[in-house]
Parts: sequence; C-alpha cells; structure tokens
Amino acid sequence: MPTTNELTDMPRKDLHIFYVLDTSGSMEGTKISALNHAMDETIEVLRTISKQNGDARLKIAVLSFNTGAEWITKNGPEYLEEHFEYEYLEAGGLTDMGAALDELNSKLSQHEFLGSMMGALMPVIIFMTDGYATDNYEEALDNIRQNRWFARGTKIGFALGEDADVKMISSIVGNSEAVIRVTDNELFRRLMRFVSVTSSMVRSRSSTADNAPTGAEILQQVEGIPEEAKVRLDKDDYNPEPKAQEEDDDWGDDKW
Amino acid sequence: MATLENGFHLRTEFHRDLTVNRLLGEGGQGEVYHVAYDGRPAALKWYKKDSLKNPAAFQENLRQNIMRGAPSREFLWPLDLTGWERGSFGYVMDLRPEGYYDITDFALCHVRFPSYKAVIDACLSIVSAFRILHNDGYSYQDLNDGNFFINPRNGKVLIGDNDNVAPDKTETGIVGKPRYMAPEIVLRKNMPDSLSDRFSMSVILYMLFCLNHPLEGQRYLVPALTPALEEKLYGSEALFMMDPDDRGNAPNPTVHGNSIKVWNCLPDYMRKIFLDAFSRKALEKPSARPSEAVWLNTLTRFRSEIVPCACGNEIFTQDGRPCRCEKCGQPARIPFRLQLSQYAIPAARGSRVYRCQLGICDAKDALNPVAMVVAKENRPDVLGIRNKSDRRWDAVTTKGEARKVAPEETIPLKDGIRFSAWGETIEILSNGPESAAP
Ligand SMILES: Nc1ncnc2c1ncn2[C@@H]1O[C@H](COP(=O)(O)OP(=O)(O)OP(=O)(O)O)[C@@H](O)[C@H]1O
Ligand SMILES: [Zn+2]
Repeated sequence: MPTTNELTDMPRKDLHIFYVLDTSGSMEGTKISALNHAMDETIEVLRTISKQNGDARLKIAVLSFNTGAEWITKNGPEYLEEHFEYEYLEAGGLTDMGAALDELNSKLSQHEFLGSMMGALMPVIIFMTDGYATDNYEEALDNIRQNRWFARGTKIGFALGEDADVKMISSIVGNSEAVIRVTDNELFRRLMRFVSVTSSMVRSRSSTADNAPTGAEILQQVEGIPEEAKVRLDKDDYNPEPKAQEEDDDWGDDKW
Repeated sequence: MATLENGFHLRTEFHRDLTVNRLLGEGGQGEVYHVAYDGRPAALKWYKKDSLKNPAAFQENLRQNIMRGAPSREFLWPLDLTGWERGSFGYVMDLRPEGYYDITDFALCHVRFPSYKAVIDACLSIVSAFRILHNDGYSYQDLNDGNFFINPRNGKVLIGDNDNVAPDKTETGIVGKPRYMAPEIVLRKNMPDSLSDRFSMSVILYMLFCLNHPLEGQRYLVPALTPALEEKLYGSEALFMMDPDDRGNAPNPTVHGNSIKVWNCLPDYMRKIFLDAFSRKALEKPSARPSEAVWLNTLTRFRSEIVPCACGNEIFTQDGRPCRCEKCGQPARIPFRLQLSQYAIPAARGSRVYRCQLGICDAKDALNPVAMVVAKENRPDVLGIRNKSDRRWDAVTTKGEARKVAPEETIPLKDGIRFSAWGETIEILSNGPESAAP
C-alpha cells in the first residue's frame, strides 16, 4: 500500500481570470490609484480562494490598454497560488479598446494563453474603462465574438467615472446587465473585489441550475451593488451579444 | 462582507439570547458567524437576503428538523432558529471543534491522514451517518465536499450544512454542487433523493482513498471543459476512470498517479464495490448503487485486514493469513486468524470485529465493536480476545466444553475455540507455529 504521504494533491482544472484595464491618460490621478489598489486587494483574496478551492486552480492575466495594448502578465497567465506580484500601472495615452480586443483575441486559444496539461474551464473576463474608444473597436468586437472562449466566457464590465462609454462596454460584454457604472472610487474597489470573488467561486457553489453563469447572473449574486450603479440599456442602444448557437461539443474537439 | 456586525443581538425562537462575535466564513447561500448562544459559544448560519426561493417553506423544514433532533452525533444539526431580522433569518448549530478539516484540505494535501485505518474510519463514519439518515426517511440532497469536517487523527467526522435535509423526495429547490451531483440530477431527470445521495457519497469515499474524482479521468483533461462537455462528463456519458470494459476515461499516468497507486493495492472486494458504485448500470440506474449497509460490510472487512508493521507500513493481509511487508520485507506476525462466516480476518493486537460483520443489525449499532484482540497485561506477546459487547457469548473450548463469556471477559487465542453471538459463530484458527515467531 502506498502511505498516505505518497499521494499528491488532487488534479484541478485551470480557471482563468482576465482583466482588461484602461490605463489611458484620463485615468491619471485618483482613478489609476483606485484601480491599482482594487487589483492589489482582489489578487490577495483570489490567492486565498485558490488555495482552498477543490474545484479549480485560479490563473490571472492582466492586459493594460492605452495607445495600443500590453500584457502585464508577459509570460502568460500566472497561477495565483505561486508568487504572482501585481505591478502598479501608470496612466497615459489613448483608449485603444479595439487594440485590446484584438490582443485578447489572439491569446484566447489553447495554443496561446489557455493551454495546459489540465485544460481550462470557461474563462472570466473583466473589462474596465473610463472613456470612449479612440479606435474602431466594433470590427475587433465582431472578430473576437467568433472566438469560442470569448463567446462562452463570463464577461463583466466596469464603467468608471461620468465619462465612460456605457454603450461600448455593454456591447463588449454583450449585455448591459453585466455592466456596473461607478463614479465612487471606494465603491469601485469594493465591487471589483466582490465581482472577482463571486465569478471565481461560482463552480464551487451549490446551485439550482447547472449552466455556466453569464456576467449578468454573476452580478445578481453580488451583494451591495447600489441601484444607480446598475446599467439597464435598451437593446437598440448597444450591440448585444447574439445568442450562442448550440454546438455539440466533443471530447476530441481541437477547435479551441 | 458581513451582514451582521459584531455585537449584534437577538432572541431565538426558543427564547435564548444570541450575540454575534465574529464572521467565520461565507458560502453560497449565507454566512456563518461565531456567536454566544445562551451564554455558550456556537455557530450561526445566516441566510443572504433573497438567496432562498421559498424562505417560509425552508424555515418550516428547518423547524421540523430541529424538533426531530439530530439523526446521529455526526450531524452538526440545527438547534434553534432566529426570527426575521433585516429581511432574513438564520439557525444555530454547534461549532466545529479544533482539529477538524474540510475534504478540500485533504484533497489538496494541506492535511493528511496518518494511516489508511484513519481513512477507513472516516469513511465508516460518513457511511454510517447517511445510513441512519436514509433509514429515517430523509435525504441530504446537497452532498458535496464542503459538507464534511474530518479529524485526521481519529477519523471522526462531523457533517454540516444540514439545512437541505428533508423527507426523501421533497423538493427543496437546491439541486447540488457541480461535480458531486448524480448523473440523473445533472441530466434533470430527477430531483435529489437518497439514491442520488448515495452517488455523491461514493464520490467522496473514492476521493478520500485516491485523492481523485472517480469520473475525472482522461476525458477531464480536454482543453476546454464547456458546460456541454461537463454535462457529458458527469451526466450522459459518465464513465468511471477504472471501468474495465471502457478505457475511454482511464487515468492519465502523469495526472492520476494517485488513483493508479492506490487502486493497484486495494483488495478485490474494495475494487468491486467502487466498480459497482460507478458501473455503467449504477450511473444510469440509481437503484443499482450499493447500499450503505454493503459499504459498511466492505469497509469494516477492509479495516479488519490491515495490520501495522514495525516499520510503520500498513500491511493489507488476505484472509487473515501471514504475509510479508512489501515495504521492509519482514514477515507480519499473525499467529491466529478469526474465521467469520464469509471471510477470515487476522487476529493481531487491536483487531476488531464490528457488530455489522455478524449479520443484519440496527444501523445505530453497526459500528459497535463486539470483539477486540488485546494483549495480556505486561505480556505483549500473549494475545486474547475480549468481549466488547453487552451480551454473553456462547463459547466452545478446544476440549469441546460449552462456556459463557461475559462482557469484558477475555478468552485466550487458541486453535479451535469457537464463540457465537447474534447467531453468528467465529472460530479462532492457528496460522501455524512459524507465524508466531517474533
Ligand atoms: N458549525 C460551524 N463551525 C465553524 N465553522 C463553520 C460551521 N459551519 C460552517 N462553517 C464555516 O463557514 C463557512 C461557510 O459555511 P457554509 O455552510 O455557508 O458554506 P458552503 O458550504 O459553501 O455553503 P452553501 O452550501 O450554502 O454554498 C465555511 O468556511 C465553513 O467552514
Ligand atoms: Zn514493514
């Protein structure tokens, strides 16, 4: 008999959490510092969750965009349980949301960021912006919507400040009910943490349904979102995500 | 994120005072607080506002459970209810004592059992508790890795989250946690009941032995586990990783080394019960799953067959016969075996015969030891068998004389002595002189 010491920890799938963060010039000042603190706190909580989570191992990837887009996690997503350190972002430049979507699209693949021995669950993708896109994000959005990881992932958006384009962010996450509009930095920090925690633990909870949750469903579970922070746009005012067609997924599927 | 602040005070339905001390943790439906309840420390589960579909019915079910009392001492049972405050309510239970850990702590190797005997003891507690609950006509409904607190030192188990326990076949609104739901629940063919509990329990038992999930073999390693594939993996195409007839979900040598190692060492009857629990048939047909009584018989037999070696290894003996330790090569000292009706077990110091090994019995008595092998005081090499039950045995000596053995009385281990209790006869048999050598 092997001794109980000879066994290793139970294999777990990877759950990726992507952050796509606006670091354009308008973020300068208290906003960027609120964002940095929010990320710092969030990462500490996610680290603890991952260590105690029998259902998935959490990985984080951070994409910062201003004039162009750049991965902060340059070597690909990092395991939170290992010594991942968040480096504070600086603000400056344009709001190239299209570039961010293109960059994200290119890495949402098992041959890029989403490959591992254990394989992955559908990712969580959290967007944050405080302004209007300075490039043509619509074409990039049409493209990334063809990406199955993106289409099936849980997408949530933050519109920070008075000047954020709520329609754009609603279009990107595909549903205005998956967007939170905050003007208060303190509230933003808190909600960023709550939203991240709730979406990362969703598989570990007993439920009354068994579908992968949408961003809108996650927000329904997050407590303490004030009424005025909830976005409810008319479907004609933005570009809602088309209903995903039912595909018959197969064990040997290599289209990912 | 706590909804109740420290110092928050209320009166319970049984008119006891309750004061919140601090937040202990958070789950999907609510928060758990450390509280002073009627002056003593206790735990309070407080539901999140709007987290319950039908709070009035839920609360009434809890009230019924409180009135009825815990089925067995393994359950951290609801003791009292609070009234409605701030749009919600909660229930009081005992605190988890020191030294108890979650299944996840074991699965991720934050803690380890010191021995397989301790693993088996934990499994026995779990099975016995669910047997009692099911016999009482209730089902647990949401059985998963978050429900158990286990003490690795002695294998003692406490079962929490008893708020969905309801008369079998009641719809409580909860379907369960992904990865632990039975296939018929995943496929929405049925609502949770005692037979789906049985499936979830078997998953936990396999995990405690092998630190793997029984259905998460090779197929689990797909690059993208979509909800559609999850439904196949845990539902429509569920396949045990050790299924001998279909290797499509077999263990991957790199990822599932635990299962491969442990499976190869398990005795036939242990493999068989896992194969029965996760056979194609049992996955599809809930009534084909091994009952708790069968689990108890199999696990007690397994426990009886483990003999400690001086090197620290646990030797799995077969049919009570002497064998060598596969780790250090030394022979295991097993001078006698105890022949039961179906099989024999080694009579080594500390060996036990449980009540359930002697035929059908009441669920509450199943794990009572009825006989135990003990060493004579000051003579560790002289072994005897002690009556640990509360009734007299009818024994027959080597000379064929009838004798009574009173509770706590010890008889020597001698070839040919027979004793019976509960209509079942146990015979002491020698394994030959060479096996007695130190
Ligand atoms: N009686 C108790 N004593 C001490 N800690 C407890 C007790 N009951 C629960 N806890 C702790 O409180 C936390 C939350 O428990 P809870 O039962 O709400 O979690 P959960 O199983 O995730 O919930 P749910 O099944 O509602 O999703 C857990 O970390 C658990 O360890
Ligand atoms: Zn040895």
